[in-house]
Amino acid sequence: MMNSSLLTPSSSSSSHIQTPSTTFDHEDFLDQIFSSAPWPSVVDDAHPPPSDGFHSHDVDSRNQQIMMMPLNDGSSVHALYNSFSASGSLPNFHIPQGSGGGLMNQQGQTQPQPQASASTATGGTVAAPPQSRTKVRARRGQATDPHSIAERLRRERIAERMKALQELVPNGNKTDKASMLDEIIDYVKFLQLQVKVLSMSRLGGAASVSSQISEAGGSHGNASFAMAGGSQTAGNSNDSITMTEHQVAKLMEEDMGSAMQYLQGKGLCLMPISLATAISTATCHSRNPLIPGAVADVGGPSSPNLSGMTIQSTNTTMGNGNGKLNGNGNGVTKGTSSIAVKEAVSVSKP
Amino acid sequence: MASADKLINTYVPEKDVFALHFLQSLSNLRTQNPLNSPDKSIDRVRKIKKAAYVSMARAAGGTSRLWSRALLRRAAKDDNKSVRFSRRKRKVTWKISSKRKRSNQRAPVVEEAAERLRNLVPGGGGMETSKLMEETAHYIKCLSMQVKVMQCLVDGLSPK
Repeated sequence: MMNSSLLTPSSSSSSHIQTPSTTFDHEDFLDQIFSSAPWPSVVDDAHPPPSDGFHSHDVDSRNQQIMMMPLNDGSSVHALYNSFSASGSLPNFHIPQGSGGGLMNQQGQTQPQPQASASTATGGTVAAPPQSRTKVRARRGQATDPHSIAERLRRERIAERMKALQELVPNGNKTDKASMLDEIIDYVKFLQLQVKVLSMSRLGGAASVSSQISEAGGSHGNASFAMAGGSQTAGNSNDSITMTEHQVAKLMEEDMGSAMQYLQGKGLCLMPISLATAISTATCHSRNPLIPGAVADVGGPSSPNLSGMTIQSTNTTMGNGNGKLNGNGNGVTKGTSSIAVKEAVSVSKP
Repeated sequence: MASADKLINTYVPEKDVFALHFLQSLSNLRTQNPLNSPDKSIDRVRKIKKAAYVSMARAAGGTSRLWSRALLRRAAKDDNKSVRFSRRKRKVTWKISSKRKRSNQRAPVVEEAAERLRNLVPGGGGMETSKLMEETAHYIKCLSMQVKVMQCLVDGLSPK
């Protein structure tokens, strides 16, 4: 982010703010001021001329340009002044007399020629490409105090960001700034609402189911579905899934291998959730992601029951892997790390 | 002017990062509430929503972005935890923005919209308008990513 450094920063019109660390804005005239060679000593306190290659290639050309001007006067200050003007859009700017050291007198500089600069500045636009330094550009900065420069800088920055936002937001083709902002605000609200709704819909129901499942004894996932309003569970299939999961949970506590064998016998497998997620997102539109096998096994008729299991296996080593119960008959993939907890969701629609 | 893309860094990670964080947080949630399942479904939903936001903030860059930092801090405050964040080297900007209430001399249209945005985007209260809009852009990207992840999850988990 750029701070309009030497001019008082845009946020304040009080004088106490000086940015100690200055980062260059892409304001050319500032660069020209700083990088032009004949520096009065006054300026060095405020800011050392940049040597970071910032428009450094332009310095020479600019210097020449600058140098040409003060040949008449031989005053370095005037050179500075003219460099300032060279960047500005003030072709009819003539060399003033008796201007002080560069930066500090910026306000002072404007006084000799308020009218000329004002007249040219008002017609100028900011959008001129800054590539060629010799091109004149409408800079209103000289006409008024640096506050307006900072103001303009700030507005440009905001406009840039608005452009970036415009691409993000759907319906971002409004030209009006106000309506664009409204659109942005509405979109943020909409996204937040979506998060809320999504967390209500199935995940909420699923969480309730899985909490039921983890309890000892055959729990019927049905009862807990009241809240979500959409996740009614068909009776049979859910019970069988539940039973399966319970069985696997029990087996897992004893011996991983037997659990795996049990799963294999059922034609299910264990895989890390990240993989399952990746698969499901890859095929999430088809709505039939992971479990054609599981459907057949677990007895769900036509509705695929995706069952993952979350088991709190305190005996097994705690890793950070998550496994998921899925059927694809591929054999057991234990995943990248030991199974600590797995997510159990058993949802089926009537 | 340099192009806006070079100035503003709006990088969000891939969807998988979000998915991983979210699923981990969900499983943590499960770990915490197995037996004492709160009967109020609203509480559950709220927890999930909070987990979603926190995981999104973590996935999107942890404490390196202003909004995620504010979000995590807000979440941690509710749980009476504390947020650890590394002190990165930050550009020293002395733009005193929060201390001084912005006067309305600056394009009041923009400013009132910025005020509304500040209420929406976490951490927006102390930001300059331009910084606010930068954060909003990143926030929107991350939110949409999170929504996509959750949607896919829900789609995947739901029967036909």
